[in-house]
Amino acid sequence: MTPCGAALTLILEKERDIMRTTASLTRRGLLGAGAAAMGLAALGRPARANIPVSLQLSWLHSTQFAGSYIAKQRGFYEGLDVTLLQGGPNAPVEPPVVSGTALVGISAADYTAAAVAQGAPFRIIGVAMQNNPFAIASLPANPVRSPADLPGKRIGMSLANTPVLEALCQLNGVDASAIEVVPTQYSPQPLLAGEVDCLLCWATDLPVAMTVQGVENETMLMADHGYAVHSQTYIVTEESLAERRAEIVALMAGEVAGWEAYRVDTAAATALTLEMFPDAGLDPEAQLLQAERQVPLMFSELTDANGFGWWTDETVAANIETLALLGREVTADLWDRSILEEVHGA
Amino acid sequence: MTRSALGILLALALWEAAGRGLAEAYVLAPPSAIALWLWQNAGLMARALGETLWNAALGYVIGNGAAVALAGLALAWARSEAMIRGLALLVFCLPLVATGPILRVVFGPGDGPQVALAALAVYYTTLIPLLVGLRAVPEAWLDLVRSYGRGPLQALIRVRARAALPYLVAGLQIAAPAAFLGAMVGEFTGAERGMGVLTLRAMRAMDVEMTWALATVATAIAMLGYLAVGALAARALSEAPSVMLAAPPARRGGGPWTVLLVAAAAMLIWAGGLRLLGLSSFFAKGPLDVAQALTTSSDAAANRAALGEALLETAVFLLPGYAAGLAAGAGLAMLIVLVPAASGAVIPVAVALRSVPIITTAPLVVLLLGRGALGTVTLVAIMVFFPTLIACLHGLRQAPGRILDVMESYAAGPLQQLIRVRIPAMLPAFFAAARMNVPASVLAVTVVEWLATGQGIGSVMALSASLSDYDLLWSAVAVTALLSVLGYGAVGLLERRVLRVYAPEQLA
Repeated sequence: MTPCGAALTLILEKERDIMRTTASLTRRGLLGAGAAAMGLAALGRPARANIPVSLQLSWLHSTQFAGSYIAKQRGFYEGLDVTLLQGGPNAPVEPPVVSGTALVGISAADYTAAAVAQGAPFRIIGVAMQNNPFAIASLPANPVRSPADLPGKRIGMSLANTPVLEALCQLNGVDASAIEVVPTQYSPQPLLAGEVDCLLCWATDLPVAMTVQGVENETMLMADHGYAVHSQTYIVTEESLAERRAEIVALMAGEVAGWEAYRVDTAAATALTLEMFPDAGLDPEAQLLQAERQVPLMFSELTDANGFGWWTDETVAANIETLALLGREVTADLWDRSILEEVHGA
Repeated sequence: MTRSALGILLALALWEAAGRGLAEAYVLAPPSAIALWLWQNAGLMARALGETLWNAALGYVIGNGAAVALAGLALAWARSEAMIRGLALLVFCLPLVATGPILRVVFGPGDGPQVALAALAVYYTTLIPLLVGLRAVPEAWLDLVRSYGRGPLQALIRVRARAALPYLVAGLQIAAPAAFLGAMVGEFTGAERGMGVLTLRAMRAMDVEMTWALATVATAIAMLGYLAVGALAARALSEAPSVMLAAPPARRGGGPWTVLLVAAAAMLIWAGGLRLLGLSSFFAKGPLDVAQALTTSSDAAANRAALGEALLETAVFLLPGYAAGLAAGAGLAMLIVLVPAASGAVIPVAVALRSVPIITTAPLVVLLLGRGALGTVTLVAIMVFFPTLIACLHGLRQAPGRILDVMESYAAGPLQQLIRVRIPAMLPAFFAAARMNVPASVLAVTVVEWLATGQGIGSVMALSASLSDYDLLWSAVAVTALLSVLGYGAVGLLERRVLRVYAPEQLA
């Protein structure tokens, strides 16, 4: 977005906020208020213009990132003009963060560990999903309710996730070689067609699609069976962490406030998502269901006590252990809590 | 006309029945459901279509403009032609799956990758026919221009440009659906809206109506583009243009020096480009990095094994699909020559198949034919089939009339004429199509592997990008492009051998 376009968006958003708070005004009054806001925006900000920064999302726009939308819409990113860059199947998160196109990226501990092994200087500064969203989805007639049910089953998954399945098996003492892996991508259809008995997928993704389509299904969350990998983690480069600290703190403060607001009212968060992205082809029912199912993954006793995005030495130790099973050797230095401490301390 | 209308109605009725019958399987939506979905979501579809069309149109103009400029350069400076051909082929062989993320980093947020991929998808199929067309001029005409004391510019305007026009049109026509596909693939790199974005959404949401509606609209639009360019051209040209995929004749492949020169230039552009763009060495790997990743680095053996295994997996799908597409194209072309009435039924289907963006159909074909070999092989065959059909038809019809007359006078039937006259006449066009189809089939197989089956080299590219293994990604790109170029060269060698026996006059 051009600086001019960004400024205009900001003005329009301010205007919309004013409209909301002054619902009783007449149309003429509204226009006046809008004009006043525009005037203020034009005159009142030379001293401290909002700094443009980008947050690289890990997937297509959806309620998966609704907390960020709330933060943007309600102006929680103080002093920043945040652009939310959409991800996609062919849009890796790490390069834009390394190149500086995005200040912060949304990744996951396993992908970040892989990038660090390749020489990317990343630090994890926040954990949106305390519980990993990976799950095994199955149909009630032939359910998978615990890892012990897996041997003898055919599982549909992206071959890329083979280490994930192997780690789950190792954590639960299950023989991985007794599971038949069928490569599938991006669709729950093979399960319905009977090509496979279960799917390895995100609990908030394909199972939601099936439920919305009226297909009853069961999900077994891998996080409930020892698979501890932080997901939807916020990553920055060491260089940014040293040189652009204030901006990162402001961005994370916005994220924390946005996601807390999301938790209070997932329906409103869903409505905002649909309103902001009318061209994304989002299904309202699926989006709401996804938003609801995401809550227990993101909030726990830990975050209730310490705030959104938090982790402890114990959860990091569990992560390091699971990551080792995935073939990723990392140390606790990968996580840097100083930003969150600053946000929550303030 | 009424017959084909009846045929379309019958096909729609069968589709409707099948769609309703398979409602529980989530694979096929009947036309009525597709129409209803489109009606209910007209605004959404129109906005997505507008976005993708705009990017495709920009890429179309840029890509074809570049092709015309390169052809002009090759004409003005004849020595550069071999180099231009070589580099153009190499760039065309770069797999879209892997260039997407790289372009996203280079361009940053916005429409850059969509437009660039659309341009990359079209320039080669315009450049090559144009190069042929600019030279497809009787020497006597050029002599005439010269004898009037006019220079090369006048020769270009008055003779060459006119002679090249039908060839240019052929390229522009094929470019229309290709640009649309390129723009859709570009959207997978993080675009906010467009047909590609919606396709992805529909697939994951198991929204069968939406998936089929998108495939239908994308096909219709690509087909319209193809037909519109053809219609415009028919107005501009005095005689109907013969749609023909003209690959450069194999004999102009150039000697070993040309190959070395092209390779050196490619390395220089690759390494220089990365430096010029100032890309981070975390993801931008140069020729040296790739060489190291495959030879001296500690995980070189693992990298080689991963690539080798994936390439083998891919070959199992690619080669049968490629062969089946060539056979189907040539076979149907012969059928049409033997039974001319068949052309009314075959050509529209062929144009539709050519226009279907593989991004939207890959999931459908896999849904219908399964994740096994059959689905992938079919998709590759579809990609190869149409250019082969058109080229072979063109070749079959070029059989010298006098020889056919002689055959007639000996009471040789159509089959004898086909075998003894038409097929030898068809061979050069067939091989030209076979060469051009090497990169096209690689594109098809990598897209299917990436989106649907999760196997082979297409999957390795996607996986290495998500795991930040950029050494492996760039190695996969380099090896795939190199193998495509080698495949192209191998078909050229085969062509020379076959033509020496069956059509030696073509090698003169």
